[in-house]
Amino acid sequence: MQNMETVVGLEVHVELFTTTKLFCGCSTAFGAEPNSQVCPTCLGLPGGTLPRLNQRAVEYTIEAALALNCRIAEKITFDRKNYFYADLPKGYQISQFFSPMGTGGYVEINLDGKIKKIGIHQIHLEEDTGKLFHAGDDILTSAYSRVDFNRAGVPLIEIVTEPDIRSAEEARLFLQRLRSILRYIDISDCKMEEGSMRCDANVSIRAAEGSALGDKTELKNMNSFRSVYKGIEYEVERQSGVLKEGGKVIPETRHWDESKGITTAMRSKFVSADYRCFPDPNLPPLETPAEWVEKIKEKIPELPSSRSRRFIDDYGLPPYDAEVLTVSRGLADYYESVLRYHRDPKAASNWIMSELLRLLNAAGLEVDECKIQPEALGKLLKMIGDEVISGKIAKTVLEEMFASGEDPEAIVERKGLVQISDESALEEIISRVLENNPKSVEDYNQGKKKAMGFLVGQVMKETGGKANPQKVNELLKEKLDG
Amino acid sequence: MNLRDITAAELTAQVTNDSGLLKPVSESLYDLHEKGRDLNVFISFDKQHLEQETAALAARLARGERPSLAGIPAVLADNICTVFYPTTCASKMLAEYRPPFSARLVESLQQKGALITGKTNMEEFGLGCSGNSSHYGVAKNPWEAERTAGSGAAAAVSTSSALLAFATDTVGELRQSASFCGVLAIRPSYGRISRSGVIDYASSMEQVGVAARTTTDLALALEAAAGPDPRDPTSLKAEAPPYASLLESGEGKLKAAVPESWDRTSGLEDGVKDCFQSELEQIKAMGIEVDFVELKHFREAPLAAAVISAVEAFSNLANMDGVRFGCRGSAASLQEMYTVSRSEAFSSKLKKFIGFGALVSSEKYYRKHFLKSQRMRTRIKDELAACLEEYDLLLTPTTPFAAPLAGGSLDAFHLLDPANFYTAAPALAGLPALTFPVYTDDGLPAGLQLIGETGDETALLRASLRLEKGRSPLKFPEPGSM
Repeated sequence: MQNMETVVGLEVHVELFTTTKLFCGCSTAFGAEPNSQVCPTCLGLPGGTLPRLNQRAVEYTIEAALALNCRIAEKITFDRKNYFYADLPKGYQISQFFSPMGTGGYVEINLDGKIKKIGIHQIHLEEDTGKLFHAGDDILTSAYSRVDFNRAGVPLIEIVTEPDIRSAEEARLFLQRLRSILRYIDISDCKMEEGSMRCDANVSIRAAEGSALGDKTELKNMNSFRSVYKGIEYEVERQSGVLKEGGKVIPETRHWDESKGITTAMRSKFVSADYRCFPDPNLPPLETPAEWVEKIKEKIPELPSSRSRRFIDDYGLPPYDAEVLTVSRGLADYYESVLRYHRDPKAASNWIMSELLRLLNAAGLEVDECKIQPEALGKLLKMIGDEVISGKIAKTVLEEMFASGEDPEAIVERKGLVQISDESALEEIISRVLENNPKSVEDYNQGKKKAMGFLVGQVMKETGGKANPQKVNELLKEKLDG
Repeated sequence: MNLRDITAAELTAQVTNDSGLLKPVSESLYDLHEKGRDLNVFISFDKQHLEQETAALAARLARGERPSLAGIPAVLADNICTVFYPTTCASKMLAEYRPPFSARLVESLQQKGALITGKTNMEEFGLGCSGNSSHYGVAKNPWEAERTAGSGAAAAVSTSSALLAFATDTVGELRQSASFCGVLAIRPSYGRISRSGVIDYASSMEQVGVAARTTTDLALALEAAAGPDPRDPTSLKAEAPPYASLLESGEGKLKAAVPESWDRTSGLEDGVKDCFQSELEQIKAMGIEVDFVELKHFREAPLAAAVISAVEAFSNLANMDGVRFGCRGSAASLQEMYTVSRSEAFSSKLKKFIGFGALVSSEKYYRKHFLKSQRMRTRIKDELAACLEEYDLLLTPTTPFAAPLAGGSLDAFHLLDPANFYTAAPALAGLPALTFPVYTDDGLPAGLQLIGETGDETALLRASLRLEKGRSPLKFPEPGSM
């Protein structure tokens, strides 16, 4: 039982960015008054159920399938998945069972610098259900339940991975990369907290690599990347424990309880295991001619994997930097724009990753909401490079730029922050500092090299931080050693 | 106003010329309705609504509008949605259902000035023609009240309660009941008339057809109803031909085929058999060539049609769950509510039928029954297409028997219903089919079915006119005579 291997497959649902639902013209806007975005079609009213397929949703799905390196089905067909539930107005869900839009793809994740491919079994388009609100804890014990059909019929894509994921960490990396890709192609905001991205995990463990798959459990209700990570980690521990004690894993659906940090066996819904899937007779097959697919392909921008590789090759960035900067298309675009104004790739990367992202995170903003234009950041970097201002000063300038959007040159000039690199000016200050600190000079002469740091600090203090630190170091050394 | 001896075209001309005639028309319709009450033809008929419709039409005529169906009384089967009448599908489930919209067909008819007088009785949701599933009781045959009419729609035309009747034909319901009631009816090619607003029953076969008393009326009605509709994804994309103006009997060469196996059904009555044979002789005498051809799969059609329509109906009727509309049974839990609502509100015949649909679409039987039936459907389609490449028409009886006694013992499962022996094949293949009234030696109506190439209703109408020409006008039972 020692070399047990974790095997995870994910099923990810993503709501598409269409303005209208998959089979009717109702709005998909989030957070509206319950049942205010409904019509006879998405309510499943008799005589109103004929679906009118949203072309945009089909194109988004094809785009996603291409971005995940899938083969595109030659004909788009829809099937009905039949079951009764109060959030399912028609008594069937229109999905793609027999012929998913895309199959056989993969997503690359970066595992400590090593690229691993996670297979995509399929990606298909389907409609979402409504939302139930129970008066009590669940449908069985509640006195009554209410249902909001605003979400019913919202287009969803379901992405099913192969069981290629070997740890909670890989699952997290996969989801991050998937979200990144889907955001690059701009088909969803992929917010797990709002439910526009949902993830179920099939988890099992097996004795050793390559041996038969163990019985799996399906984890539900994980509402963030962190809970996916923690849920899988917990479940792996739990299953190992069961197996170590000679027990058997019961194949079942388990509920992740975020507050307790555990998974519990879920009471099953009134869902028949046999969905009686058959082709929807109201939706004739839709051909996907090569020219159409090609046209959609042209819309796909450079995706994170290749962009990250290019950042490494073209800009000489370390893999870590390239990975961080290409997480979102906005950030990667921003980075490359900055380079157009000041081509120092590593400096730009450092400043964006450490300073700018810190400010953005603190303010809860996305890079495209940032007041600092790439040109302004480029100027700031140039001023640092040209030793017009010191790095330390630059940080305060950046903060001010972030708050006001003001041009860095204007700030530096207005506040008189130009770095003092003039040797004669610095020499004068240095002489004064040495005169005022005989003890430190003595310490230095006796070999206490630390004293040097103190003296540099004093010079910086005297100049209000504007002194060129490198110059100060050189000049001080000259004076003391000479 | 005597509506018994007037054609739709004549009536429109008269009413357009003198809108004062609308009042006697509406009075006659009311009288006919009152006299025919015992026949159970209507589910909804409202004098006040009729008066509103005639007043609105009179106003349009006064404004100089000249709608093509002005003043023509038309009825709709009660599965075609109307905002102004309940739409019950003759089911207890929808007894109180008032759709918030009207079918596209209803909009077209109203726009063209037809008077929609009422909603007619039918088998529950369209379940065959045998006359024991309507919540409102059997629609009786105007020729002999102890026999079934098959549908209120055909009976309404037979009693002159309407000049036109629109009803769905899934496996043959409209054609069969027209044959039982001695009127003409056409089921156009699949997709010719929009199903938008028609309550889904067996989507892939169901098509709205029309019954009338003359070929010219049929052509006029079809022209008003047919055409592409973006709201119906299965609607034919091509514009419908101007049937009425294309109508001419012609004396040209016509080649008709009769399936060799036409008399190989146990349900074939001698009266119908003799009638069909003598009709064939007459047709030959008119200069139409008649050949007997081998159609290997023709006899397989009823079973395949039953399996496919059962599966589709099982799924389509799953929205009848008591959650948002319709009958809701009193129950302690959701699951029980489904069971109670559906048990109480569906007829036993319908329950058996959708139960059968659930069975043959289950994982266990999907391939064996559903898929097999779909393959058979393809074979039938190909076989008929090949036959119609060589022949202009296919001729059969419409039903193997004259109107059966009401409450008779037709196959409760509806699977091997001999009524569908001739009508199922064109329904599966989506071909247009027309039934022309003929009479047995006992004086009961029967039907001659003409099947044409897909999209070519015109050929059927022309052949029908040719048959009509050489005959005395159709006979109709006296209202209130039984």
